Amino acid sequence: MSGPVPQQIPPALTARAAGLVACESCGRVHRDGIAQCQRCGAALHSRRPGSLQKVWAWLFAGIVVYIPANIYPMLLTTSFGRTTENTIIGGVIELIDYGSFGVALIVFVASVLIPVGKFIAIGYLALVVRPGARIGRGSGLRGRQHLYEVVEFIGRWSMIDVFVVAILAALVQLDFAATISPGIAAVSFSLSVAFTMLAAQSFDPRLIWDAEEGTAP
Amino acid sequence: MSQQEPAAMRIDPPKRAFWRNLSMVWLVPIVALAVSLGIAWQTYAARGVQIEITFQNASGVTPGETTIRYRDVVIGTVEDVHFTPDLAQVVVKASIDRAVAETLPEDAQFWVVQPEVSARGITGLSTVLSGVYIEASFPPGEASEVRRFTGADAPPLMRAGQEGTRITLRTRDANRISEGAPILFRGIEVGQIEAPRLILSGDSVVFDAFIEAPHDRRLTTATRFWDTSGFNVSLGATGLSLNVGNLAALVTGGIAFDTVFSNGEPLNPGYVFDLFPDEQTARQSLFRGVAANAVEIAVEFDGSVNGLTTGAAVRFRGLRVGEVRAIGAVLSDDSGARDVRLRTTLAIDPQALGLPDGAGAEETLAFLEEAVADGMRARLATSSLFTAALIVELAELPDAAPATLERPEDSLAIMPSVYSELPDFTATAEGVLERINALPVEDLLNQAITLMASVEAVVSSEGTRQAPDAALALIEDIRGLVGGEDTQALPGELREGLAELRAVVEELRLRGAIDRLASVLDSADTIAANTATASADFPALVQDMQTLVDRAQGVEIEELAAAATRLLDSTEELVGSEQMRELPPALAGALAEVQQVLAALREGEAVENVNRTLASTRSAADSVAQAMESLPALSARLDRLVTQADSLIASYGARSDFNAEALDVMREFRATARAVTQLARTIERNPNSLLIGR
Repeated sequence: MSGPVPQQIPPALTARAAGLVACESCGRVHRDGIAQCQRCGAALHSRRPGSLQKVWAWLFAGIVVYIPANIYPMLLTTSFGRTTENTIIGGVIELIDYGSFGVALIVFVASVLIPVGKFIAIGYLALVVRPGARIGRGSGLRGRQHLYEVVEFIGRWSMIDVFVVAILAALVQLDFAATISPGIAAVSFSLSVAFTMLAAQSFDPRLIWDAEEGTAP
Repeated sequence: MSQQEPAAMRIDPPKRAFWRNLSMVWLVPIVALAVSLGIAWQTYAARGVQIEITFQNASGVTPGETTIRYRDVVIGTVEDVHFTPDLAQVVVKASIDRAVAETLPEDAQFWVVQPEVSARGITGLSTVLSGVYIEASFPPGEASEVRRFTGADAPPLMRAGQEGTRITLRTRDANRISEGAPILFRGIEVGQIEAPRLILSGDSVVFDAFIEAPHDRRLTTATRFWDTSGFNVSLGATGLSLNVGNLAALVTGGIAFDTVFSNGEPLNPGYVFDLFPDEQTARQSLFRGVAANAVEIAVEFDGSVNGLTTGAAVRFRGLRVGEVRAIGAVLSDDSGARDVRLRTTLAIDPQALGLPDGAGAEETLAFLEEAVADGMRARLATSSLFTAALIVELAELPDAAPATLERPEDSLAIMPSVYSELPDFTATAEGVLERINALPVEDLLNQAITLMASVEAVVSSEGTRQAPDAALALIEDIRGLVGGEDTQALPGELREGLAELRAVVEELRLRGAIDRLASVLDSADTIAANTATASADFPALVQDMQTLVDRAQGVEIEELAAAATRLLDSTEELVGSEQMRELPPALAGALAEVQQVLAALREGEAVENVNRTLASTRSAADSVAQAMESLPALSARLDRLVTQADSLIASYGARSDFNAEALDVMREFRATARAVTQLARTIERNPNSLLIGR
């Protein structure tokens, strides 16, 4: 049997079980116990040491800076001497008031749904792959792999808001008539996105499959 | 499983210490947390202290924009404007600087500074462009925890820390006084008036005023305040006089003060000054200010007191020493027969009688007792020949019937009075005067009064000045009449009256009142014209007069009366011409109109309108005027863009369609840029257009 029913495929022999280590940068396979790749010189790890710890650290940092990103103004719009401040959610509400539902949706998805979804996804992955975890042990491993891939892929798109702010701030500098400058939230938000991307990167996807070993007969 | 091998030995690595296991990456969230907390703390610290100010209305106050200033330095910003739950007032929430808030006392004053156009100048003009702001005033240092304040509608008279004295003034009506009117001391503004308010009983108006520091030393109980607002036109025996105060006082009303005698006492808290209608009254009112220690006595008059009013003067040897406090009737039946006596209460000022400063009731009564024993009596007297108003005179009649100052235990001391000859002096001159009694004396007197007024008008005319000889002859005749035997018999009052008339005539002649009249009022021409024609008839009048005098000396009373009547008639005819009669009402009407205009102006309708207009144009002016600054920059920028685009186009083919279109676009751009530049220039050249919209 193949593809459609992956659960029924017998667990493959992992490199670790086979006593092998693959170089993460060039892909050459070495015997276990060798510290450096003989081809490219990168450090060899069967599993990256402290991977989960780094994931948690970056995730935590990302969440911490996400709070001011939502409280402080993202955009400072000065028009004819009057300064208006817009937070992320405030901007979304204003866009809805103006009837720009599409733009509001894009901003909401990019600035709220995706970052928050990423926090949850990374947190979930980091929880379930830790040794001895009881949550969903051995089931839906491919789903987890997909989740991880989606998180890695989508991370950069959260920067949409930051890009918009950066472009507006660069373009709209009409002295008194109108000036747009980034607020504290813009920095916080881009830091938050960067931190969660680092968290996703620190995650060692091979950990997902270690769960399979546990269920192997 | 297929081979027999010993089981692989499990080798556990030595357990590493927890801390050594920690990744350096943990530093990142720690730093992030620290920075976030730092930002939060900074925001909290910069937030300032929240205060609430309650205003009647918040005209022009905008959340996030309106600033709060103290000595013109921004100390906070308005954050929110909302209503009190009952919608009766506006609550302005503001956050102010923490350092300032720590010194904010309970009685800090806040008011909204707005452009204001008033008679005394234009204030707050800067707010036309910058928007209104809230000014705070407080003496710093007395910290309090109070965070709710009541805003004032107008700037306070007394800025915090400003030294001076707050006084209360009382007046009958506030017609000519309005809030903010200046208080002048010898023409220098030394204080201001607060809004007048009715006292509870509604029969007078009081208002507070503030006198600035060095000048408030002059305030004593001897200080008199008088109204200097508007202008004063008085046409009297001394001619026409016109007094105009300073322009601000003319519009907003103003009061002046002076300390009219030196031995006033320091003010007690709650001392209320009276506001006098004019300076003369104020200066003559010495008595009123020291009414506190005035001594009341009663006088019972036998005859009619018709003409005597409360407040009438009490004179002693011509000096005002008191006033009439009350007039009433009492029933006395001590001598068996019931008798209604008119009891008049007099208030006598001991100081005015020359008694020492601290003299009280006892000393005063003792003095009066002695004086009564020497013949002092109260009697009614006319205040002048021309009015029916009576005053009380303390006459010294050494040969009067002996009397004493009665001092009953339970009521006021009663001063003996003598029957005044004055009311019927016409009847005292033997049979002649008895016959005069039968004549229509009232009419004659009335006509005489009219004659006096008319003579005054005629005498002050151009014609009279041209005929001084005739006038002198008239005066000589009058002198002769006065010197006549019959006249000698008349009471002294009449002689005094004639002397007064002579003084009037003299003064009129000397002062040249016509010059002033002509320079002040255009209508003086009319007078001159009228009187010029009248002067032609004047010798006839003199003739009539002389006839009258001749006959009077012949003591032919009937003929005298007839001649007098004829004289009066001809005089009436002479000076009573239509134009002459119409003149005073016209003058009065003109003055009334000016008064109305001033009143309207003072009521602030015009001023209010201007203020409101300024306030409403403010926001527009604000935006546009400041936008104007960046307009040249904008047009320069457009120009630059066009230049750049031009060079870009040049790199495309010279003949391509794209090039042509793009050139068109560029031309339009240029036109736009030119238009913007023009707009900017127009606005620069004619900034008024911002306000008037053209």
